[in-house]
Amino acid sequence: MVIHRVNSLRRVAPALLFLVLALTPHSLRAQKFEGRELVHARLIADTTALVAGKPFSVGLLLKMEPTWHTYWQYPGDAGIPTEIKWHLPEGWKVGAMQWPVPLKLSEPGDIQIYGYHDEVLLLTQLTPPATLPGQSVRLAGDADWLVCAKICIPGNGKVQLDLPVGPTGTAANAQLFEKYRAQLPKPLPSAASAAIKWTRAAKAFRLTIADKSLSGKGDADFFPLPDPATVLGHPRREQTTDGSTVFTIPFEAAAASVQSLAGLLVFDGQAWSLGTSVAGPADEAVSASAPVAANAPFSGGLLKFLLFGFIGGFILNLMPCVLPVISLKIFGFIQHADDSRGKIFGNGLAFTAGIFAWFIGLALLMISLKAAGHQITWAFQFTNPIFVVVMSAVVLVFALNLFGVFEITLSSSATTGLLGWTAQEGYAGSFFQGVFATVLATPCTAPFLGSALGFAFAASAGVILLMFAAIALGMSAPYLLLTAQPAWLRFLPRPGAWMVAVKQFMGFLLIATLLFLLWVLGAERGPEAIVWTGAFLLALSIACWMKGTFSTPTASFFQRAFVFVLMLLLVLASGYYFIGEKFNATKTAALSLTKGDWVAFSPERLQTELAQGHSVFVDFTAAWCITCKFNEASVLETEAVKSAFTRYGIVKMKADWTNADPVITKTLQQFGRVGVPFYVLYSANDPAKPIVLPELLTQTLVLDHLQSTAPKVAAAP
Amino acid sequence: MKTKLLLIALTTLCTGALFADESPAVGSAAPDFSLPSAHGKTETLSKFIGKYVVLEWFNPGCPFVQKHYKSDNMQNLQKEFTGKGVVWLTIDSSATGEEGNLSPAGAIKQMEDWKMHSTALLLDADGKVGHEYGATNTPHMFVINPKGEVIYKGAIDSVRSTEISDIKGATNYVKAALTEAMAGKPVEPATTKAYGCSVKYAP
Repeated sequence: MVIHRVNSLRRVAPALLFLVLALTPHSLRAQKFEGRELVHARLIADTTALVAGKPFSVGLLLKMEPTWHTYWQYPGDAGIPTEIKWHLPEGWKVGAMQWPVPLKLSEPGDIQIYGYHDEVLLLTQLTPPATLPGQSVRLAGDADWLVCAKICIPGNGKVQLDLPVGPTGTAANAQLFEKYRAQLPKPLPSAASAAIKWTRAAKAFRLTIADKSLSGKGDADFFPLPDPATVLGHPRREQTTDGSTVFTIPFEAAAASVQSLAGLLVFDGQAWSLGTSVAGPADEAVSASAPVAANAPFSGGLLKFLLFGFIGGFILNLMPCVLPVISLKIFGFIQHADDSRGKIFGNGLAFTAGIFAWFIGLALLMISLKAAGHQITWAFQFTNPIFVVVMSAVVLVFALNLFGVFEITLSSSATTGLLGWTAQEGYAGSFFQGVFATVLATPCTAPFLGSALGFAFAASAGVILLMFAAIALGMSAPYLLLTAQPAWLRFLPRPGAWMVAVKQFMGFLLIATLLFLLWVLGAERGPEAIVWTGAFLLALSIACWMKGTFSTPTASFFQRAFVFVLMLLLVLASGYYFIGEKFNATKTAALSLTKGDWVAFSPERLQTELAQGHSVFVDFTAAWCITCKFNEASVLETEAVKSAFTRYGIVKMKADWTNADPVITKTLQQFGRVGVPFYVLYSANDPAKPIVLPELLTQTLVLDHLQSTAPKVAAAP
Repeated sequence: MKTKLLLIALTTLCTGALFADESPAVGSAAPDFSLPSAHGKTETLSKFIGKYVVLEWFNPGCPFVQKHYKSDNMQNLQKEFTGKGVVWLTIDSSATGEEGNLSPAGAIKQMEDWKMHSTALLLDADGKVGHEYGATNTPHMFVINPKGEVIYKGAIDSVRSTEISDIKGATNYVKAALTEAMAGKPVEPATTKAYGCSVKYAP
């Protein structure tokens, strides 16, 4: 039996020493003082059943007696925050505690604390492992809290909750979760981030918010979340005349590297979280700070980044999944080398238009998402599993087309290559090939694109459009040049039967791409997702075969119509069943990229490791990122680099962005990045100055940087 | 809700104006004071120039204070350093009627019950000295060097909790500060965030 303990108050109230044994089915715990229960602690979940691999939230519900309060994560001048130490079975993942906005409370003697009156729900996200044996799971934890009114009493107790395991769960305790989720701080919109400036004076931090809309908010406040070594006074709002809002936060101790504070901007009963700005190396910082500084310093920076965009776009052509499309396009040029100059150039233009259409479309989509306050990122569409399923289907159909299983005809009279390999290739074909090549190119940020996109995403809509146009231009430059100067085509080999063999071979390259896409799905949704997608792809292949074998141009109209209906039925029914039913029932994040001696990234874990004086290397990666895989295999997982990590005692963290984890998105954005791969090394010698590594790693480069984290030892006497 | 927040804001402003005294920063001169001890003697800080002085804010009802006394952690520290010539002044700033407020007789009994080794337990019921030092927590620790300068202020140790079992793994900042200073080394960390109950000043 579990004993709930209240530390004694022998001196003040000798009679008040209680051992409270309170057990209800919901493991209700009470804390008694003068016969009253001060705090009821109860664990609740937002679901009725546990689904393997599917994250859900639990909440520690604390009900306080009137006038008594428990504390926020930063308690203020006195007190300590509530804590839970979880006891969960092997393989469970626990997120950081999410704290609703606290109240700022004052005690006699100018003592200011942050806490909760009456009731609060402290939320934590739990993720069960991919397989859940047994009928039910017990979620248990030791909760510790301090409850104070005029006096303080620490309380603790075991909280637990038994939940059944099932295929699906329905929402539970919706009202409570809804109420307290609404009180969680929201991420600050990027437009607002631009209006924020921190300065550090001798004895105070100064937070300036250059946004007039705040000036009317009399109750606007800043609740700080300092690191443990920073000792703060009370934040004070300053009077300003220019419409900006300024808070001064005096400090008594802060490491020299601390230039800003994390915390909450609170007004109208809501809160927005401000992260600390992490200072990167000088040239990396440009991408993050330039857009904030508005138009003036653009000329140099913008041109430089547009050039990066152009080069990056050019390199996209060489990405392994794009190569088949591109080489086929070149073949198209070879085959039509004898066509009129105008027609060739027209095709080149159409292809370019396709590339532009996708990029500009993407840019417009991102601008509108950004305007709607979403967090946007490069290759974000790959974080959506349905997008990957559709891509797999397109790649397979294209491969079957290359193998010669079927030909695509838009009408019997005019054959137009939709996916690109028919006798007469129209402008529409070229256009769609352009789109297709570009869609395939996005999963990996080629070198140069990282900082260029980071620069663009933080900037205005116009700059985003310009940047994407530069990338599109870079990608299409080789074709435009080839088609504008058809004379150069003479350097390419003559057309012939060999092209059929190459065409079929390219089909296998696409199958390889398909394997990669399926693996991405596996990483996102588990092995079952691969099987169900495979089943759908099989049905799709049969439909393609039916088209090629029975729906020939010589067949009767009725036969073709009948085959078409059968094909449609096959594709729709298998799509509905395998993807709509089976695939959607699979769970997220079943395969973890975090293996071996890597630990899963979380900002809290990072801070803890740094606070303990460890150096930390963070690998921001995703299952669908080929450049990431390449770096991991050729550099990070080699013996030399692995042993260097061990030798210098560097903690290896993996930030798995496969499913677009918002916490990781936010961290990337703090570095001005919008995609992976991204590598950053925090040296214990100077943890406030993380070192950003390039997107293409080499062993020498990584080893040099790792060595720089070695403790600086004074020479022996 | 709004009115409540407004009231809180107003109270904060008023008390802020009343108690605007800045806590002495590390490196600055410790404000001088005279306070009656439990034994009826008046102790004056400036009389101890030439010696290391520890100020310890105290409230026997506070679970954080109890953690360090019931484990004998505080007494051992007091014993060790008063044995090395350090003056250890325990100060109770709890206002009359508030938790931890002690009469001289109650204070003597408390010292005996807990076998305290402080040089003196000083009674500061009007909170004057507490405010002058900006003491917000019990325990809240200050270390003053023989020249009368504050060389450490903040928490007793590095683990913020009420659990006695946490003392073992914690770094005792007061012990570290005194040891480093006596060895002629710089004190690091010199300022930490104190943890504990709020000092029970008069409303």
